[in-house]
Amino acid sequence: MIRVALAGNPNTGKSVVFNALTGAKQKVGNWPGVTVERKEGICEYRGVKMLIVDLPGIYSLTATSIDERIARNYILNEKPDVVVDIVDASNLERNLYLTLQLIEMEANLVIALNKMDLAKAKGYKIDVRRLSVELGVPVIPMVAIRNEGIEDLKRAIIYAARNPRKPILRYSDEIERVIDLVQKRVVEKSILLDYPPRFVAIKLLELDDEILRLAGIDEEVVREWIS
Amino acid sequence: MRLSELKPNTKAIVIDLLGDSNLKKKLLSMGITIGVEVKVIRNAPLRDPIEIEVRGYNLSIRRAEAENVVVEVRG
Repeated sequence: MIRVALAGNPNTGKSVVFNALTGAKQKVGNWPGVTVERKEGICEYRGVKMLIVDLPGIYSLTATSIDERIARNYILNEKPDVVVDIVDASNLERNLYLTLQLIEMEANLVIALNKMDLAKAKGYKIDVRRLSVELGVPVIPMVAIRNEGIEDLKRAIIYAARNPRKPILRYSDEIERVIDLVQKRVVEKSILLDYPPRFVAIKLLELDDEILRLAGIDEEVVREWIS
Repeated sequence: MRLSELKPNTKAIVIDLLGDSNLKKKLLSMGITIGVEVKVIRNAPLRDPIEIEVRGYNLSIRRAEAENVVVEVRG
């Protein structure tokens, strides 16, 4: 069974996509130890079964709120085969922030570019192909509320599960230089071996509280590495 | 000038972010980055929170947070 996680900002139509994928085959519970709702369901497409887990709607993947921690830990620790990032096409710039963080986590990503009708009504012309090329991630345009693009999304999920990829986004030379410095230390000292070293390096540079704690590293040490 | 001091319907450019790193991260994750244009839509009753427009969407932020956003009014 292909394990799929649905991620996305609040108000992107994530629940609509979840319902369209899973229909009546849903199970509702809560995430361990917290009262945040956890929904999962089964999707079957041409004999292929997918377990769809709906992550909390979030704007970013820092460890500052419980919702963000749930989403981040699920992706890092449970390592779903595919992460579907539901993006509101009518609010693209805002939504792509989370997308970049999912790319940094080296998730096997598919973008569901939802609300294409609203984007059009706003006068936006989105070059879907170009977006896909620039991000290195398949992008499926959709109007989930009218069921448009759902079948394409299912096919894209199955294809991605069978051909996993790790998108890598390069930042400016100056940033890449410090990422490289920290990443070398991460590899050398076998820090958080379960996580992608580039991701760990970026989070250490951000002085992310949880990653610093998990790695048992003081922020002064990180500052020293890059000085 | 601070974002908290802007009058409704004024546009400004963000030139600096103050405060601790967690607040900075929060502001950045909401799209408030150096160089971005912000516009105050309105102040809620008692002037807190403030509703602003940034990157094409509306955002409500606390006055205390807006005090940490240094802006410059242009033209």
